Amino acid sequence: MTKLAEDVIFDFLHMEAVKYMYDQCSNEKHSEDDATSKLEHMGYSTGYRLADRLSRESLRFNDELDLLKYVCKVVWSAVYRKEVDNLRTNHQGFYVLHDNAFRFFTSMSRSKQYLEQAPKYLALPCGVVRGALANLGVQCVVTAEVTTLPACKFQVQVQRA
Amino acid sequence: MTIYNMYMFDRNGTLLHYAEWHRNKEAGMSRTEEAKLMYGMIFSLKSFVSKVSPLDIKDGYLHYSTNKYRLHLYETPSRLRIVLNTDLLVQNVKELLHLIFSQVYVEYVVHNPECALGQPIQSQLFATRLDEIVKQHPGFAVRSV
Repeated sequence: MTKLAEDVIFDFLHMEAVKYMYDQCSNEKHSEDDATSKLEHMGYSTGYRLADRLSRESLRFNDELDLLKYVCKVVWSAVYRKEVDNLRTNHQGFYVLHDNAFRFFTSMSRSKQYLEQAPKYLALPCGVVRGALANLGVQCVVTAEVTTLPACKFQVQVQRA
Repeated sequence: MTIYNMYMFDRNGTLLHYAEWHRNKEAGMSRTEEAKLMYGMIFSLKSFVSKVSPLDIKDGYLHYSTNKYRLHLYETPSRLRIVLNTDLLVQNVKELLHLIFSQVYVEYVVHNPECALGQPIQSQLFATRLDEIVKQHPGFAVRSV
């Protein structure tokens, strides 16, 4: 599959953002957690804006599950050019989004190689999901997990007030 | 028909990747030494060819043949050089070399944030895809001894 020019720019820019943030960790003022949270925050604001931009034509959502489905379809295709492959829930505010070929990983590996480096590239995507959901009215905590590249899963834990 | 081996060099002459499929005779020196010799040879060959050529050369592709094998050199605008050795019967190697560059190198090295550019390629995915694409080429099919 040939990538579109605008996607390539986003890919490379994200690569550099990650590299820049984690390179700063080498001096003692910053820790790796700082880098992760900065990237997550960048993702959060991006996702927050993105939700408004994408949902300008759509109607209000009836419930949380609809909302999550919307994120899996529309937000995912806007950012990663594909939909989430599998969405699971325990109907108590916990959701798992499986992506079998996550965009940032398809070029990296199809085995366990680079597995240790993989979490660096997930901080921003987690933020995008959290930001988009926050703007649509769901406060949540998003974490990501990789066992074999290029598949990865995002866990969404909704915070009930 | 068969494809013997492949070298990939960057613009500074660093050996990025070496792959081998059928090779009956070893050079009798270390791989790094051999790569330096190979790079030196194609470097001189190119400057020689461009000096003695009666016409303008714009194409980033040249090849030479001996009685036994043919060496193909493909050069990208960014001065990445791919050298492929085949026997004399293999056709359309230029397309294959272009595919190796655009579908394998760009896709799995340039797009991989963990691959430092200008250094030997460590990615296993790159090596696997390269192997696949070469083995799919019709020239690879029959092995003549």
